[in-house]
Amino acid sequence: MGLSSVMQTLRRAAERVPHWAWAVAGFSLAAIFPLLNVAGLVMTAWLRVGVISLIFVMLSLGLNIVMGEAGLLNLGYIAFFAVGAYTTALLSSPKFELRWPFWALLALSALVAMVAGLFIGLPTLRLRGDYLAIVTLAFGEIVRLTITNLQSLTNGPNGVTGIYPPRLLSQGAIDSLQASGWPEALLKWLVIDKPIEYYYLVFVFVVITAFLISNLKNSRVGRAWNALREDELAAVSSGIAAARAKLLSVVLSAGIAGLAGSVYAYYSNVISPESFLFMQSVIVVCMVVLGGMGSIPGVILGAIVLQALPQVIRESAGAMRSEFEVYRMLIFGLLIVAMVIFRPEGLLPDKLWRQEAHETDPRELEKTRQSLFDVEEGHQDLEV
Amino acid sequence: MSLDHIVTVTVGGLTVGMIYALVALGYTMVYGVLEFINFAHGEVFTVGGYVAAFTLFALGVSDQMATGAVIGCLLLALVFSIAVPAALGLLIERVAYRPLRGRSRIMPLLSAIGVSIVLQQLIIIIFGPTPVTMPTLGINSASVSIGGARIRVLALVIIAVSLVIMAGLTYLVKATRIGKAMRATSQDMEAAEMMGIETNRTIAFTFVVGSALAGIGGLLVVMYYGSLKFDAGFLYGLKAFTAAVLGGIGNIPGAVVGALVLGLTETYGVSVDLGFLAWFVVAGLLMGLYIQFVLAPKRRLQHISEDRRTPHYERSIANVYRLAPYLAVRTLMVERTDALLSVSAKHAVRLMLGNVFLTVTAVVLFINGSARIDTRWQPVIAFAVLMVILMFRPAGILGKHIMEKV
Repeated sequence: MGLSSVMQTLRRAAERVPHWAWAVAGFSLAAIFPLLNVAGLVMTAWLRVGVISLIFVMLSLGLNIVMGEAGLLNLGYIAFFAVGAYTTALLSSPKFELRWPFWALLALSALVAMVAGLFIGLPTLRLRGDYLAIVTLAFGEIVRLTITNLQSLTNGPNGVTGIYPPRLLSQGAIDSLQASGWPEALLKWLVIDKPIEYYYLVFVFVVITAFLISNLKNSRVGRAWNALREDELAAVSSGIAAARAKLLSVVLSAGIAGLAGSVYAYYSNVISPESFLFMQSVIVVCMVVLGGMGSIPGVILGAIVLQALPQVIRESAGAMRSEFEVYRMLIFGLLIVAMVIFRPEGLLPDKLWRQEAHETDPRELEKTRQSLFDVEEGHQDLEV
Repeated sequence: MSLDHIVTVTVGGLTVGMIYALVALGYTMVYGVLEFINFAHGEVFTVGGYVAAFTLFALGVSDQMATGAVIGCLLLALVFSIAVPAALGLLIERVAYRPLRGRSRIMPLLSAIGVSIVLQQLIIIIFGPTPVTMPTLGINSASVSIGGARIRVLALVIIAVSLVIMAGLTYLVKATRIGKAMRATSQDMEAAEMMGIETNRTIAFTFVVGSALAGIGGLLVVMYYGSLKFDAGFLYGLKAFTAAVLGGIGNIPGAVVGALVLGLTETYGVSVDLGFLAWFVVAGLLMGLYIQFVLAPKRRLQHISEDRRTPHYERSIANVYRLAPYLAVRTLMVERTDALLSVSAKHAVRLMLGNVFLTVTAVVLFINGSARIDTRWQPVIAFAVLMVILMFRPAGILGKHIMEKV
């Protein structure tokens, strides 16, 4: 019995477990994780890694809409993240002596990022995929350089510091709740300033995002995206408004990135242009490719693996940290090339991508593809 | 604006333009053949520069050596900075791109990004993260006086070398057997294969030539600026790609034209007053007005006069521009107002918005006439050019409109 047959047996066993069981297992694992910290089993450092990983899960879920669903490559995705982060940072920090309410800023950050997405998407969506990639790359660099150069607004390379922690309710509301006798322990949770609180905050966002996207995927819009990705000409001929659908995907993903950026700004307390390098965009792309384009569990897995695993290795590397940083990127590069060549569908592939990559039965593939174009009736046969 | 300043700026712009051109040629050739953006090309360029500087250091070249020996060392560095990138290009194509041929567009691009990261990290691992520097030689600082401006000899050398290389490349593509094979492959790979052309070998050769040109570019940059950082290839690669797109990607003369335009734009952008730049915007505005009020209505009128439903006595409407300008405008304004709507009202509005934008820009520039753009914004200029070109004329200056293959 060779290794491959062992793998095959394992895979068959894994396939017998229903999808919802995996989802429930992942959900509860992620929900329980911070409690292990409370119980003293997990270091707080890991919890911080968890928060950042979840923020990146959000980012890659957002990028997945553009890359996995609509099939457009966005190499400047981190720019939307930056826009969201700076919107929050400037309006809730000592920089301008402002402290806008948390929820308003969350919405505003997403909105500003969406406007940026509209701005970049509107004129470029006529372009073919690879050109679009370069335009978005240029946009990402322009955003970063502008942030670096506009020193009066953003403090340039020094970044914005001392971002206030988010309050879920206004100070007045918290005070009146306190006066009416609510327990102190409960009210403490209304001001988010500990890793565990951030963790649950981001976790809620991730769950909502994942839920929305998985619904969107099977909706009319999602099928339009997939159809456009598979064959734009055929999709347009079947009456799909290509420009509008693509624009929607870009704007939506920008909004999610803006949201993630806002949370990131609150969490990290200090933001500087250094966090928004081109490499970060590539890393998010990497997460989506590794996990599997178009597959939500895959993308989540990819983000966690690529964000948490290097941290874990770095912690254990100890003295060799700086060398590790170099090798980390080297491994990322090799990983992308290897994935694209040997397993383009990713670790946990989407059904269609997997069929496409291996084409075990061309008729099966054709059937799945056909179902995409059958916008009204195809609902049942494309399951996620 | 004194003359010597203009000469200095122009030569500086031409020099960087030529370097961009050398790198852009690699992009455009590969794109012409494979329709794919070789994202790792910028890193190949960096490798060329590193290899050249490293060779010169290893040879211990200095001004104390005899002139002949210095030239020999430089030639050796040139050989290495051609050979190593060429071999690298061959390897990359074989390992990372060939297995992906025929897959969807996004896949080779991803693979190329991966390769570019790997190369960058390998440079750090092999040569260290500090920028590589060039040994100081007399030729680096030598300068001549042209029109009252002091010009570095090296700048002139770079321009001359690039011109020679481009002439050689033109000969290679236009007049040799392998060049013919390249052109055939880029036109239709399948048909070329049926005609007995070994497309795989031709594509590999394209990569070798492109990478060698980038390597020479790296050598010239390291000599001109004296040092090169491991991540320089990203910016140079992106600018060269901008140049290639600007000129019309897949088009070899286009790459050179685009690179020179980009180099000049970039250099002029940060080294002359805004008041001077405003005149360029005014020129653009004049062109925009010409398009809006002459070219576009003409097309509309042409269309109207060819329409079956147009009565005979109105068919001569397209000749309105043969009239004296005043009469033409009066005829348009009074009789055919609809012609001013261009091909569609939407198009006319877009043109108008463009012209309004240019007017506002020109006014703003004139108001701040004595200010200058800070050098920190220089990369932004290139990126902005790239975005604007891709948005409004993706085919580039010399390119034909790209037809979507069905």
